Amino acid sequence: MNHRLETTALWSAYVLLFGGMIFVKNEHAIHIAAQIVILGLFAISFNILFGNTGLLSFGQALFYGLGAYVTGMIAKKFGGDHFLWALLLVPLVAMAVALVLGALSLRLSDVYFTMLTLAFAQLVWGITIKWYDFTSGDDGIQAIPKPEFLAGGLHYYVFAFLVVTVCLYLLWRLHRSPFGTILKGIRQNPTRVNFLGLNVFRHKLLAYVISSCFTAIAGGLYAGLDGSIHPDMFVWTMSGGIILMTILGGMRSFFGPIIGVAVFVLLEDVVGRSTQYWSFFIGAIMIVVVMLFPKGIVGVSRQFAGLFAKKGDPLEHS
Amino acid sequence: MSFDVLISQFLGGLSVAMLLFLVASGLTLIFGVAKVFNFAHGSFYMLGAYFSFQAINLFNNFWIGALAGAIGAGLIGMVLEICFIRRISGREEEGAFQILLTYAFILIIDDGVKFIWGPAYKTISKPESLAGALTVGPVTIPTYNLFIILLGLVIVVTAWYVLSRTRMGKIIQAASTDTQMVGMLGVNVSLVMSLLFGVATAMGGLAGAMAAPLRTIAPGTGVEIIIDSLIVVVIGGLGNFWGALFAAILIGEVNAFGILWLPQWASLLSFAVMIVVLIFKSKGLFTREQGRKKI
Amino acid sequence: MNHKTASLLSALLVCFTSAVSFAGETIKIGALYPMSGRGGLYGQDSEAAIKIALQEVNAKGLPGGRKLDVIVTDDQSKPALAVTLAKRYITEDKVKFLYGVVSSSAALAVTEVSKEYKTIFVGTDHAATDLTANAFQKYYFRVSNNTFQSMAAGAMYLQDMKLGKKIAYIGPDYAYGRDQIAELKYCLGKLGANFEMVGEFWPKLYEADYTSYITAIVRAKPDVLVCGFWGGDTVAFIKQAKAYGLFDKMKYFHPDGGGNYEVFSTLGAECPEGLIMSARHHNNWPETKENADFVQKFKKATGRYPSYAAEGAYVGILVIADAIRKVGNADDTEALVKALEGMKMKFPEDPAGFQSYIDPKTHQIVQAQAIGVTVKNDKFPPAKYMLGNFKVYPADKLMPPQDYIDLLKRTKK
Repeated sequence: MNHRLETTALWSAYVLLFGGMIFVKNEHAIHIAAQIVILGLFAISFNILFGNTGLLSFGQALFYGLGAYVTGMIAKKFGGDHFLWALLLVPLVAMAVALVLGALSLRLSDVYFTMLTLAFAQLVWGITIKWYDFTSGDDGIQAIPKPEFLAGGLHYYVFAFLVVTVCLYLLWRLHRSPFGTILKGIRQNPTRVNFLGLNVFRHKLLAYVISSCFTAIAGGLYAGLDGSIHPDMFVWTMSGGIILMTILGGMRSFFGPIIGVAVFVLLEDVVGRSTQYWSFFIGAIMIVVVMLFPKGIVGVSRQFAGLFAKKGDPLEHS
Repeated sequence: MSFDVLISQFLGGLSVAMLLFLVASGLTLIFGVAKVFNFAHGSFYMLGAYFSFQAINLFNNFWIGALAGAIGAGLIGMVLEICFIRRISGREEEGAFQILLTYAFILIIDDGVKFIWGPAYKTISKPESLAGALTVGPVTIPTYNLFIILLGLVIVVTAWYVLSRTRMGKIIQAASTDTQMVGMLGVNVSLVMSLLFGVATAMGGLAGAMAAPLRTIAPGTGVEIIIDSLIVVVIGGLGNFWGALFAAILIGEVNAFGILWLPQWASLLSFAVMIVVLIFKSKGLFTREQGRKKI
Repeated sequence: MNHKTASLLSALLVCFTSAVSFAGETIKIGALYPMSGRGGLYGQDSEAAIKIALQEVNAKGLPGGRKLDVIVTDDQSKPALAVTLAKRYITEDKVKFLYGVVSSSAALAVTEVSKEYKTIFVGTDHAATDLTANAFQKYYFRVSNNTFQSMAAGAMYLQDMKLGKKIAYIGPDYAYGRDQIAELKYCLGKLGANFEMVGEFWPKLYEADYTSYITAIVRAKPDVLVCGFWGGDTVAFIKQAKAYGLFDKMKYFHPDGGGNYEVFSTLGAECPEGLIMSARHHNNWPETKENADFVQKFKKATGRYPSYAAEGAYVGILVIADAIRKVGNADDTEALVKALEGMKMKFPEDPAGFQSYIDPKTHQIVQAQAIGVTVKNDKFPPAKYMLGNFKVYPADKLMPPQDYIDLLKRTKK
């Protein structure tokens, strides 16, 4: 299967599957699908940093929570009509914050970068919990209003799907652009990128800012989904969950992370219905994936496709 | 502020620090020396506590419990290393898959202990001989906390001695720097790594067994301690026992005095400390430069 | 390539779309409890208690020969998951009632779902006063007491027993811990009590090591240490504080969650004597037939004695059944709300001669509170100590007054 075909197939699958949800008359399925696209945007933008650039941030939940709280607090204070411009404000705020935190943390390498991003996110989480007058603390914010035309599960799903699709398209273009190639180069051999006369730090910072910006948009979208947000969105288990889903789906593929998200969310829903030992089953499935599918779920599908197409391993491409 | 307040707060902080170090010492071995990102280290700590609870119920002896906690956790750790972790080594993006794999261990071990021991809290008693408290003037410190402080010192000295003064330790250090070369020299590297993983998880189990008389044993307690341990390991420099000890004491004491002076913010201080350390020393406080030290 | 994943996804999606709902004989209740992790015990005990209540209710029969059925799902005490599950219960399982919830922040999120879908939500465990005050909505009812009621009783106890005026507080660093001390201070103020706070300490929830807090508390030299932990945190704190002799130096006062049975069953012989505590339900108080029956039924069904959470989960089902009987069906939500508003019923935790009732204005159950002191008592093994020497505070004196509700409305949005 050649790359163009794979690209077309993936995009069509995405549009058909999630666009097709509009015709499904099941509120819960729509709600689950909305969660998948929103968390999917989070995971794919995280993967720009992780899978592409090779930077494992353990603190991207900071931006997810930031997006949710900027949107939620503005809409709660000024009313539902202000929801949309609050959502537009989110990328700006996120970029400003990412610029500062990125400049501080990207000077560090490997695990030290990872731990510093973790510490920043945990600090913001702690402040959100403690600053009652401003953030309502760990009670979270409920009943966040949104504009009339977004009310109802289906309407909001359509909105979220459209926003996510636009964001994914932008990220996709970026992924395929020369800039995206430089990021891959940074992952594989930063010294060589440096020798090419490119500023590694500046490119990393740009990747960090872009990734954080789209993560925050995902958070902002989440604020409107249930109208209920919570400091949990900042905490390390949130960042960790996204890391797991990304690896599970396949970090070397553009759409891999959203597949990981879908599998996770659906498993939690399906397994949670029948047993309280859901975490055992999810853990067991994760082990199976790790042991048998060394390139994540997408990787194994590619191997299958490769068998039929008699082509080499098309890793790294879509 | 009077002197005795400072002393008792310092000693309190020290005993917190030593338990933190006990947990982190196994992690620094796994993470810094064996280069395995074992996210499930806390789960071995929890398993150690449960095993010791079980053994004490059967044999009614604290020390047998401690032994059972360490050996049980170590054996399970070794089995998991041989069955899973070893099999993904050398794979592209090994680290990422280690995270996924060890996180799966957390999920499975948490449900496993819930299945075996139930969701109710468990606790064990201190051994008779260590149940009292030492009082010097206005300063009180429980004997058991003193014992933990001593145990921490014993572990750091032993680890330092084994790693830098014995043949085994030198093989381990060498294997952690250049696995291939050591393998070519005729050492069974995968056996060394399995043993190392077993020892590290046994140290986690021992920490759990030692902490159990002071804390609550319940499903989920493993994952609660992992972040604090990671902080200690990273501040102290990966694989550096003395560094981890220093970092644990730093965190413990900053917390202890933070509680006196900034009680509102005490629970965030360990993150603040890590941010400050990493901003000024970007590889932790005591990281050895690769290759500079002769092995 | 991607058809494999795509087909997996669509297969799973078909599971949802084809889920047929039918209005059969059963009236469904959708319960949310943590079944794992730190709060898992409360979920397990609640589920066991629900089963007992269901047997009784269904044996007695409901109008039209219908039966009650409860679905229990693990909400992991996560607000976002609780909301997803609550919506699924309503839209897919067609439940008539939402039920349970241990975490207050999850409950605050679920009550909004209840309001949006006009589905009654019966809270059985979470204690945040907000739900029946500033976050009140008419489809919400709570059959266990809130922290204000515990703290109002606590304030009176402090006054009555003259425990001293220097107070220190330690509680988990989240809303539950913060609300308790704010409410206690308010209630002490209302009583005109003369007190002085000599320290407030905020370890994080599930803190493993309290040693540095303990040395700091001892240094603050309070007469009374007020404590706001729950579950395993109480156990760890007591064990660590005991070694420092903290309980010889001050009174230990823990009026909302300290006297939970699981604390005594875990501590066993290590429980210090003379701690002043209460809980939302006691296995040994009141010594009424109803309470003894309930505790024995639970013991028979599970082989263990119940933690406080079980009683709330048990009575909630009885309350729902009673409302359905009064209305004659489970479909007229507005009539059910009216029926619940006038509810009065003898609960296991009601002392002789008193019946709990739902306050029609706030939908909060109005109950008496008993505060006791730990004494040797091995009638409920593995506990070796239980509360005794109870002092009982009458139900109607414990409700938050209007000016407190107004204060909450002003300060919390």
